[in-house]
Amino acid sequence: MKRESIAEKVLTPEMRAEIDHWISKYPPERKQSAVIPALHVCQDANGGWLAREHLDAVAEYLEMAPATVYEVANFYSMFDLEPVGRHKVNICTNISCMLRGSQEIVEHVEKKLGIRLGETTPDNRITLKIEEECLAACVGAPMMVVDGHYYTDLTTEKVDEILDKLE
Amino acid sequence: MNAKVDEQNPDLVTITVDGVEMQVPKGSMIIEATDAADIDVPRFCYHKKLSIAASCRMCLVETEIGGRPAPKPMPACATPVADGMKVFTNSPKALAAQRGVMEFLLINHPLDCPVCDQGGECELQDLAMGYGRSVSRFTEGKRIFDDENLGPLIDSEMTRCIHCTRCVRFLQEVGGQKELAGIGRGEHTMITTYVREGIKSELSGNVIDLCPVGALVSKPFHYRARAWELLSHAAIAPHDSVGSNLWLHHRRGEVMRSVPRENESINEVWISDRDRFSYTAMYSEERLQRPLIKRDGQWAEVDWEEALTFAVSGLRRVLEADGGEALGTLVSPTATLEEMHLLVKLVRGLGSDNIDHRLRRGDFRDGERAPMLGLPIAALENLDKALVIGSDLRSELPMLNHRLRKASLKGGQVSFLNPREFELNFDAMQLAAAPQRLVRELALVAQAVADASGKALPDAVNALAGGESASEEHHVLASRLVGGERAAVLVGALAEAHPDGSVLRALAAVIAELAGATYGDLPSAANSVGGWIAGTLPRQGGLNARAMLEQPRKAYVLFNVEPEDDCWNSAAATAAVESADFVVALTPFVSDRAKAYADVLLPIGTFGETSGTYVNLEGRWQSFGGIAAPVGEARPAWRVLRVLGNLFALEGFDYEESGEVLAELPKAALESERPAWQDVALELQDEGLVRVAGAPIYAVDALVRRSQPLQDMPQSAPAAVHVGSAVAEALGLAEGEQARVRQGRAEVVLPVVVDDAVPAGTVWIPAALAGARGLGAMVGGITVERA
Amino acid sequence: MQAIRNFFKTFLLWELLRGMMVTGRYLVRKKFTIEYPEEKAPQSHRFRGLHALRRYPNGEERCIACKLCEAVCPALAITIDSAPREDGTRRTTRYEIDLFKCIYCGFCEESCPVDSIVETRVHEYFMEQRGDNIFTKPQLLAMGDKYEQQIAADRAADAPYR
Repeated sequence: MKRESIAEKVLTPEMRAEIDHWISKYPPERKQSAVIPALHVCQDANGGWLAREHLDAVAEYLEMAPATVYEVANFYSMFDLEPVGRHKVNICTNISCMLRGSQEIVEHVEKKLGIRLGETTPDNRITLKIEEECLAACVGAPMMVVDGHYYTDLTTEKVDEILDKLE
Repeated sequence: MNAKVDEQNPDLVTITVDGVEMQVPKGSMIIEATDAADIDVPRFCYHKKLSIAASCRMCLVETEIGGRPAPKPMPACATPVADGMKVFTNSPKALAAQRGVMEFLLINHPLDCPVCDQGGECELQDLAMGYGRSVSRFTEGKRIFDDENLGPLIDSEMTRCIHCTRCVRFLQEVGGQKELAGIGRGEHTMITTYVREGIKSELSGNVIDLCPVGALVSKPFHYRARAWELLSHAAIAPHDSVGSNLWLHHRRGEVMRSVPRENESINEVWISDRDRFSYTAMYSEERLQRPLIKRDGQWAEVDWEEALTFAVSGLRRVLEADGGEALGTLVSPTATLEEMHLLVKLVRGLGSDNIDHRLRRGDFRDGERAPMLGLPIAALENLDKALVIGSDLRSELPMLNHRLRKASLKGGQVSFLNPREFELNFDAMQLAAAPQRLVRELALVAQAVADASGKALPDAVNALAGGESASEEHHVLASRLVGGERAAVLVGALAEAHPDGSVLRALAAVIAELAGATYGDLPSAANSVGGWIAGTLPRQGGLNARAMLEQPRKAYVLFNVEPEDDCWNSAAATAAVESADFVVALTPFVSDRAKAYADVLLPIGTFGETSGTYVNLEGRWQSFGGIAAPVGEARPAWRVLRVLGNLFALEGFDYEESGEVLAELPKAALESERPAWQDVALELQDEGLVRVAGAPIYAVDALVRRSQPLQDMPQSAPAAVHVGSAVAEALGLAEGEQARVRQGRAEVVLPVVVDDAVPAGTVWIPAALAGARGLGAMVGGITVERA
Repeated sequence: MQAIRNFFKTFLLWELLRGMMVTGRYLVRKKFTIEYPEEKAPQSHRFRGLHALRRYPNGEERCIACKLCEAVCPALAITIDSAPREDGTRRTTRYEIDLFKCIYCGFCEESCPVDSIVETRVHEYFMEQRGDNIFTKPQLLAMGDKYEQQIAADRAADAPYR
């Protein structure tokens, strides 16, 4: 049965070019190695989250089982599968940050934004992500990542300052 | 992943397991060595037919190489053996590791054994008895999951899952489509389809057996019985000619479920869903409970004696008036060898030769040649080249499709030439041509094969090519067949239904000859081959299945046949039985249709209720016993036939058990011979649209058609007119619209499905579905217009 | 000497008097006999009489059709059929005890993971017709409903020793 190609529908030529760039880094029979960069390409192009059509498109484009792409997208916390706000804020709650008081930071931010971890502000400005793993900056604990930028040695004042700057 | 062991010439290494020295093949895993030596190592995720995941860690053992103990316990399933290795499977260290793993596995397991269907046959339960603590130290809350609906066959309770991923690996590696995924991470990993559309694989039921806990259980069996109440009896699957080995589990005479019986040379450790869930039809509401006769147009329930006397006197009336010629006997190819033999004896005794079991065959011109695979089933997976002609293999013979899939995964090249493309679960080349072009296409393939093999092609074949010459596609296909060490040309049910099937078979034989390949037929039904042994064929000049419906008889005996669904030409079959003076139907089921044409309905036992023998497509005889008590007053059919023989005062009908019937049959193995070439004129000359039909996977016989769980599967979509987009455009049809289709005088209205897998000039309307009843030949001219 | 003693014993009916003394003693003692059925002997809270199926306080039947009682029954007196109920829970569609087969060993009660099947203190019952010996699910549930208070009190009394 010839179905409509979902990759053709979802992936723009620019996105495909970028994914091709990543594919070229791996041996030709290992196209699926490019799945994480490909998902990032889709996520960036879609305002920070992935819909099922993106996952299916990547699966088709990389000739993978769709289920495998679902597994990857669900495993890594940097992929969001629900619509998100304009800015993603990840506060590390792993052990080093926890010892250095990340819990207070989280409580402060939750109170300030009026949302819980995993939620998005009603004005769609900030998504407070649930952090699953250590963000690998224990040297500056407590720390957080905002839209890919690391902010270390946080205090509640510093957090206020950073968050207030976000549009 | 699995280390491959060269089975012919394994290098052996010596290891010591628990003080016992043994020689094992190099590259094998410790668990394979211990399994072979019957040393018990606990495991959940390891399965000999699946890849190694080493995810459960239950099989941890202590190892020592060269006198140096490994620093940590090693998983036996993923640790290759090495020369001089010492393995301790139940040393204190190994046991402590296994107990530790068990404690972790039980952390999130709900321990709801009393309500769990797996209770009593659960691997986790068994091993927890040996390795579990009596009291858990875990006081925190357990994680729970919402269950998703996996379809009508499989019930899920994912909270019980221990993440062994056997189901995921099975569907990916054996099922061919990774329909389940492990979503999430850590203890929140959930096995799910993610898209929540259910599991569609035709082998999906096997995940029920594979699941070591109660996370995936059978839906039709859900909460109905306990493993310890069930008695299991060996049986043979009745729905395809593979003859998969089953265990039928029954309780107090009622079949509760069907599970695979390991037979490496037939079905390995799997069975198809059709064989697993069809038992539900045994207790369908349409089961015929008591004999029925039609007296003065009124149906009456009567006792056996009266019904049989009525049947005998009715048949006598016709026979006395018009002779044996006036009687037609249609035999289901799922009948057992014993039933077939008795029918032959009965019919011949009545002076008739109109008997046939080849109900869906379109062309009888090549006469008598038993359809045989020509090679062992297990050999299919070692083919390096194969051409399948006219077969929806995945629907017809799921277990053979699985073998060919294995061949393809090993690097074998498989190609299909079909009247339409099918959704395959492995890599293969598919060539689709309209049925009226199929002979020509095959002749062109023969040309290409002759070219590739450098042999001369008989002129008669060249003539069939109609002046065309082989295209690039044909040459590619030929290159995928010629030059293999182990090659086969297989001819399936769609070719059998073709009105020029004899030509297709002969051409296939020519191609096989040219390519140095084995020729094989793919008969569909459980006893298609057995019919040749028992002789349910018009061997003395009688009429074949097609002829006795196209030239209506005065009386019919229908043996487990529903003519409107089971016959090649539904319209002709319905008309013939409806116009007959007297119709005796031996059937397990009653329907309004049967009441419309039959005069006597005699309830007979289904599979599981009758003892008998099937001959599979390799020619293997497999006998089985009657297990369940027949429903209502139904009786095993061989007994009914025996009494009919007595009532007709025929000789040699004094059997006490079905084994005596079997003893009368020649035990000689059938020879698989190639079809001989013969010059015949092509019957299918239609210029316009041609209908082509196969019986869908869950509609092949009366039993499957009444299995509700299977009828709820997506494969059981209602009948529709499938046409390619070009044809649809030319006819002004769009998806979902209604179309009026006509075959001869037969006419039905069906919804349209636009599907480019169907080539130009072709209309695919599946047979054996309610909507397609009353249409004409399975392969034949048709007109389609907007309704 | 012995002979003289024997002579007087026979003559004065000494043995008879000795014997009658036992009778006389018991004549005035408190009686052991219980005037059944007007009077009844005391029962242990572990008494194993007629069976009952219990319900939870909210009216939901306890039995989940795990069939352990059926499996453990040494007399094969219990027969259970099960199926999913409309709400998807595991329930019995048939629960029968053959009271002729039952040996009142109490294993069913002991094996029950949800304290559903119990043996009550009821031991006075009879069957009038063939077939009455099959105690069906509605009858068992009715027993449970009728004696729930007593059953619960008995289980509570026995709880410290379980």
